[in-house]
Amino acid sequence: MDNQKLAAHESLDLHEVINFKTLCVGKSKLMQGLVFDDDLRNLMKKDVEQSIQALGQLQEVYKRAPFEAPVPENRPTPTVNLKGVHMH
Amino acid sequence: MNNDYLDPINSIHVPELADTTFAMDLLLRAKEGVRNVAVALTESASPDVRALLRDQLMQGIAMHQEITDLMINKKWFHPYELSEQYKLDQLSANNTVMIGKMNLFPVETNRKGLFAQTPDEHSDKQ
Repeated sequence: MDNQKLAAHESLDLHEVINFKTLCVGKSKLMQGLVFDDDLRNLMKKDVEQSIQALGQLQEVYKRAPFEAPVPENRPTPTVNLKGVHMH
Repeated sequence: MNNDYLDPINSIHVPELADTTFAMDLLLRAKEGVRNVAVALTESASPDVRALLRDQLMQGIAMHQEITDLMINKKWFHPYELSEQYKLDQLSANNTVMIGKMNLFPVETNRKGLFAQTPDEHSDKQ
């Protein structure tokens, strides 16, 4: 059962959950550096660790999505367009 | 706290204002997370996907509990004394709107040119 392709709907919902969890990892990590309260910081640290583990598990299952594709090293299209650079 | 963010008198309570805001953000994300995973679970057919989501749902509920307990202990969240919660809601709204109106980013913040860029084919046409 574990190598079978995933159904359509669950694959799209995995897409949603994975993106949400990715943002949670990033945000909790960022805020860890901003909070003053020690207890809150420790809880955020725990949230980051748990979320990283959860994200790994989700990514693993997500590999069986019917629309799976090889993951490139970097973003396919560079987001920085050189026109954005102001040459004074 | 008022608009003059440079006057030290106005920086009293700021650490707690920041922490209450960060905690609220963490709480809302925990709630969102539980709801998202619950919805995903009820759309999943594959047994191992359901098992994984179920585990993460339980973990999410536990984390939500921990955050809620912390906020209650710190008096950052008042589920029972709602008039206390009312005061916090209005107070943080006012303070955050005040910050929102401040001119905190007067200088151009486009820093794109400061990062390494791969020399790709159209770079010589600049």
